Amino acid sequence: MSKSKPRYWVEYLFLIPFVGFLSVFELYPLVNMALRSVVETGGGSVSFQYYANILSQPHYRMAVRNSLFFATACSLVGGIGGTFVGYIVPRLPGRYRSLLLSLYSLPMTLSGLVVAFAFIVLLGRNGVLNLIVQRLLGLPRDVYFDVYSWPGLVVVYAFYQIPLMTLTMAAVFGNLDRSLIEAARNLGARPLQVWRYVIIPTLAPGFVAGMSIQFAGMMGAFGTVLALVGGARNLLSVQIYYHISESTYNLPQAAALSVVLVSIIAGVLTLLNLFEKALRPGG
Amino acid sequence: MSRWLYRLLLMFLILYIIVPLLMPVIFSFSIFWQDILPQGFTLRWYEAILTRPKNYSALMVSLIVATGAVLLNFIICVPAAYALNRLETPIGKRLRALSSVLPLVFPPVIVGTALVLAFSRPPLALTGSIFMVIVAHALIGLPFMFRNTLVSFRTIDERTLSEAAASLGATLWQRMRYVIVPNVLPGVLAGALLVFAISIGEFEVTSMVAGFTAQTLPLQLFQQIRNDMRIASAISAFLVYVSVLSFLGMNYLGRKMQGLSQQQ
Repeated sequence: MSKSKPRYWVEYLFLIPFVGFLSVFELYPLVNMALRSVVETGGGSVSFQYYANILSQPHYRMAVRNSLFFATACSLVGGIGGTFVGYIVPRLPGRYRSLLLSLYSLPMTLSGLVVAFAFIVLLGRNGVLNLIVQRLLGLPRDVYFDVYSWPGLVVVYAFYQIPLMTLTMAAVFGNLDRSLIEAARNLGARPLQVWRYVIIPTLAPGFVAGMSIQFAGMMGAFGTVLALVGGARNLLSVQIYYHISESTYNLPQAAALSVVLVSIIAGVLTLLNLFEKALRPGG
Repeated sequence: MSRWLYRLLLMFLILYIIVPLLMPVIFSFSIFWQDILPQGFTLRWYEAILTRPKNYSALMVSLIVATGAVLLNFIICVPAAYALNRLETPIGKRLRALSSVLPLVFPPVIVGTALVLAFSRPPLALTGSIFMVIVAHALIGLPFMFRNTLVSFRTIDERTLSEAAASLGATLWQRMRYVIVPNVLPGVLAGALLVFAISIGEFEVTSMVAGFTAQTLPLQLFQQIRNDMRIASAISAFLVYVSVLSFLGMNYLGRKMQGLSQQQ
């Protein structure tokens, strides 16, 4: 065979469905959405009215602020919890390790509504756990953990976030090379130096990737919130949903809110990436 | 002492996932659950899903949509993963990187909004049709299907394997039949199961693009959580079964894949 330069025409042919589908149903809609947020339909005049609304109207500003806080809180809970479980998993005997990994990959496909249902039964006003704790401690009926409050929503979403982070971190801790750490110690590195120059740089890429998934996912999440409290909690994602499909139907405003949401995610992901680069030794 | 602590911790970690999953299941088999313990045993709420026309048609719509999303993903992802595994050009690399970042930056709520904005006006008034729901679910499932398929092409090193088979005189058809398909199938099927399970439970984007005609099971569940927790429990339990079953399937396929890569 005389192949000097590989020719890829079959491969490019095979990419047509993929590129075609994503162009029509993802790329075009996204570009169209960005345009619709600034260009009036029909007239064609450019206006930033819908962005001005987000800056000036208190309930939009509140939504942006709430979403930032909520996504950060959930990512931190998920990040810390998942890192903890991910640290334990590789240390377990093989049987338990695969059991835990399978169990912790279950919530990924679980409907947000099922999770909402489960936590209403567990932690609602008459929730099983609430009743058990009340009986055990002899608490009055009006003292209970409120699943419909902000902390309650964080606890519910942790059921997604912790397992998701666990899967990432279990792989990361599983790949952590023990011999590298020992080599550093043998060369006379102090414990702090081992952490700073060996352990943290190895863990950082996986951790940052995990946190990015957590934050991005939480910025967009609204199914479980909607099932638990309806519109009572003002989040950016919930606002977008209401502008698309409910009484406050306003498509250009939804487009502008969406662009803001995407920008926030892109900004935070960039920051996390920079942070990871800064952690690299010599970087 | 620390051994017991470890066991206790392990126990807690297992219960953390299992207890919430069991709630809808227990609820769906009991007549009445107001106190700590549920009371009675019944299959009435499952019967309700199958006999009430509204719920039954939602079940059918969900199955059609999930199957459609899986098939669509199959047609799109398998050739693309084959191609991108081989393409060592800059375009290939960029597409591979893009396919992992895109779904992160554009979560489902954005995909839903963009779809509604693009396809709600004539001549492209597609929202509210079952076709749009299938497309939306295919989009949400695509990263999972694509990643699984690409990984299985990677692990078996399809390129080297095919070249070896070709040098031994295997025709294209023989290479497909005996080398590529049996080796890649477990990974592709695992991706398909994942897409199916995600589609069956998807609520967020569905509620944006479905309108009134394409009512899926989760949309029914959303109404029933407010109206009737007992019907809701049966639908929730059904969704839990689908998730658990598809994960058992994926575990089985995962072990098969491990076997394949160890044979080499």
